[in-house]
Amino acid sequence: MKKTINRKAFLQQMALISGGFGIGLGSIEGKAFSHISQQALNIVEEGNVLVIIQLGGGNDGLNTLIPAEDDLYQNARPTIGIKKDAALSLANQMYLHPSMTGLKKLYDEGLVSMVQGVGYANPNRSHFRATDIWNSGSDAQIVLEEGWAGRYLKEKYPDFPIRLPNHPMAIQLGSVESLLFQSKIGGFATVFDDPNLFYQLVSGSKTDSDPPPATLAGEELAFLKQIAAASIQYSGVISDAANKGKNINTYPNTSLGKQLSIIAKLIAGGLKTPVYLANIGGFDTHANQLSTHTTLLKNLSDGIINFQIDLQKLGLDQRVCIMTFSEFGRRVNQNGTAGTDHGTAAPMFFIGKNVKGGIIGANPNLKLLDSSGDLRHQFDYRQTYATVLRDHLGLSNTSTAAIFSNSYERLPIFRQSIENSAEGKTIDLVNPWPNPVRDQVFIQFTVRESQPIYFAVYNLVGETIAVLVNETKQKGEYNLTLTVSNWANGTYILSLVGKKDRISKRLEVF
Amino acid sequence: MPVFSTISVKHLLNRALFGYSKRDFAMATQMGSLQAIVSSLLDDKPLPSAPNLWVNTVPAQIQLDNGSASAWYKEMTNWWNQLMFKEELNIREKMVLFLHNHFSNERDKVNYPQYMYKQNQLIRKYALGNFKQLVKEISIDPSMLIYLDGNNSRGTSPNENYGRELLELFTMGIGNYTENDIKQAAKALSGYQVKGLDVIFDSTRWYKETSLSIFSKTAQFNVNTLIDWIFEQKATAEFICRKLYKEFVYYKPNEPFIQEMATVFRKNNYELKPLLEFLLLSNEFYKEAYIGSKIKNPQELLIGTCKMLEIATPDMNNWYDMAIILQMQLFNPPNVAGWPGQRNWISSTTYSFRGGYTDSLITGKRYNGSNVTGKLSTLPYIRSFINAEKADLLVDDFCDLAISLPISVSKKELLLQTLLSGTIVKNWSTYVQMADTRVNAFIKAVLRIPEFQLI
Repeated sequence: MKKTINRKAFLQQMALISGGFGIGLGSIEGKAFSHISQQALNIVEEGNVLVIIQLGGGNDGLNTLIPAEDDLYQNARPTIGIKKDAALSLANQMYLHPSMTGLKKLYDEGLVSMVQGVGYANPNRSHFRATDIWNSGSDAQIVLEEGWAGRYLKEKYPDFPIRLPNHPMAIQLGSVESLLFQSKIGGFATVFDDPNLFYQLVSGSKTDSDPPPATLAGEELAFLKQIAAASIQYSGVISDAANKGKNINTYPNTSLGKQLSIIAKLIAGGLKTPVYLANIGGFDTHANQLSTHTTLLKNLSDGIINFQIDLQKLGLDQRVCIMTFSEFGRRVNQNGTAGTDHGTAAPMFFIGKNVKGGIIGANPNLKLLDSSGDLRHQFDYRQTYATVLRDHLGLSNTSTAAIFSNSYERLPIFRQSIENSAEGKTIDLVNPWPNPVRDQVFIQFTVRESQPIYFAVYNLVGETIAVLVNETKQKGEYNLTLTVSNWANGTYILSLVGKKDRISKRLEVF
Repeated sequence: MPVFSTISVKHLLNRALFGYSKRDFAMATQMGSLQAIVSSLLDDKPLPSAPNLWVNTVPAQIQLDNGSASAWYKEMTNWWNQLMFKEELNIREKMVLFLHNHFSNERDKVNYPQYMYKQNQLIRKYALGNFKQLVKEISIDPSMLIYLDGNNSRGTSPNENYGRELLELFTMGIGNYTENDIKQAAKALSGYQVKGLDVIFDSTRWYKETSLSIFSKTAQFNVNTLIDWIFEQKATAEFICRKLYKEFVYYKPNEPFIQEMATVFRKNNYELKPLLEFLLLSNEFYKEAYIGSKIKNPQELLIGTCKMLEIATPDMNNWYDMAIILQMQLFNPPNVAGWPGQRNWISSTTYSFRGGYTDSLITGKRYNGSNVTGKLSTLPYIRSFINAEKADLLVDDFCDLAISLPISVSKKELLLQTLLSGTIVKNWSTYVQMADTRVNAFIKAVLRIPEFQLI
């Protein structure tokens, strides 16, 4: 199916953005800023937030979380190894880089879970391919054009792109949208450096309700229009939140410090966005790495601790978890230019009030290396993602497994598992199965109190394809089997509407 | 054979140049055939003279400490922008940018503009020349040696950085070699050092083995024989042809056509000119489906809009600052893979800044309030259109010039109303009161529609 948005879908999207008024080139400017009501902004939803920090370039894991007592480590790195006496002792003969005093302090308070040896089978040592693998959550030999967070957000916001929710679905600090937030139906992230400047720039943006032509150029045009529409929709909400929220703590004057301070402000300002991405680059330390790496890790550690202190003072630390990742670790042996070449498995850090704290997994095994002299991985990186999705973002077991086309065993990163439920709702709809589907799909829904039920299937244009239920249903559980073998391939939305609740699920027909 | 028409000429100019003016288009049309235009596009031109004398000074720490390196980088960027702006009907600067992106080097690591200047001129020398020779020379070019750590790499414990990227990004593409090939290639590439502005080879720093084994051949490889051998691999010609296709035709390659290109490339011993001639005169290039399917890169937007608006002396600082904001600072691609292009240019923030830039050429004010020198001279410009006094035809003519895709009748009507703003077609004249304000609003509106980002 073509990914173009046709006229009707586009009109619906634009109607929401412009408050339902007709749009002309001359008239949209004013309406671009019809803000959602202040009241909506004041309600802080008890939603958890994931802040991902990407360490670009391949962080040297062995010089970050250091097996400083292991002679094999010191022998492999005669001039760039970190000596035991200089490093910060954690536990189990593991040490932290001397510049990471901030992270060490948080660790001592039980706010940091460190997972050792995270990687995947058949590791790729190309920056670009490896970054794509980490962002898409695929096996090494499978190329996915969707990010794992994009797939999560697709599940969380089943009406996208027909309807844009009131708050941004994901925020990335920077300028170029990461694969992490891409999906086949469009990108989920709003990307900017500075909330107020972003708002000011969007003020001249125009878009319109003309359907893009069904051509290759039309696909690109649809993409541009979607970006324009999302910018118009969100720039006001974001700058309002940034102006309403505040930082209580001060941050280091680094790029990462700035990014994290904006994120804290936006969360404090009431934004309901579940996922943020910040980044710090420069970890590709092939030559003379000691001083460069020290600065990088200091910036990372200082940024994290000040963010955490700010969240505590703002009373938001219950809801937020930081996760760090990098596309690969580095070679065990140092190279001839006092640096390290591309390697494989490396540690990941999880920071927040809800993490269990401590070091997970065995210390790096420097005896049992692969044929390139690199570490073998201990945990699959998707185990960490699955854990975060389940235990921090509250995604169901089945949905989490669907995102990775596999059920990954969770790791004990968080203190407790949060179970997902349709708590408080008087109706519930289970994920249709199988999905994607070719001929028959099994659908199960629950009615918790007697009420009129309207249950229908729509295509992405918004046309009704089938009305499954349109009558008052008594309390109970209902099963349906739907035959879709003669439906056009593509994405459909199941929408279950009760007296006051509404639940949507996406269905792919192929 | 592709048809010579207004549409095909515009498509060719859009893809081969950084935008064009009415005059450029008329000149191309007068040539009478696509062959004649392509032949002009591929003409050899003498190398431009240096931006300044500093290009020959020996790099020294003081230049970083006192800020001159940074000032020189800016001077060199302005120099290159001017070459693009004044490229006329010639594809060379487009190819230089393509190759700069292909052999991506970052000023943040190379530090000294002298090196990047040298590399830029090397690329320009071969922009329409022999690609294999360019790979050989750029492999031991000071900027590249510094950027990918070939500098001081010793054969006994080589730095793998250049060896990996040579295979992965510059010649063959991922999946066509083994990790061991990289390690062996890194040895063959060792022994070079940057000294001052030059490069020396020290055989005592080379590998000690009597031979290396790369892609199942055992030999005492050096830089030249290694690259010759890389070009014997089937994947190499395909890889570079695919990248050219993605730049000039469409970002999703048509594999059977890539094979045709690769055959032409091999047959011509990796000369770029016959390959480009084949591409720019192919039916594939002019397929209707590809017209308007490319998202302008920031340079195409920055330079091209000024050409189109016939701004005689554009604001160099505006270009310099906006290129950084729009994520295409020359001499500073994001990483060794270069700028990925197409949809990666566009995010909520860069899209909005693009509108801010086109506004600034008309209002003379940047997003931050600072003045833009060399803005549009509204009335002389609009009166240079034959239909300047016929509002409806003027809208057609300007949209034809600015937009590559067909525009709906209703949108044209809205644009016409923006131009008229209160008056009627019959009463329109560029001499009515506030005509300049109306024209400004109209041009701003056209340049703000999403279609303007596509060529």
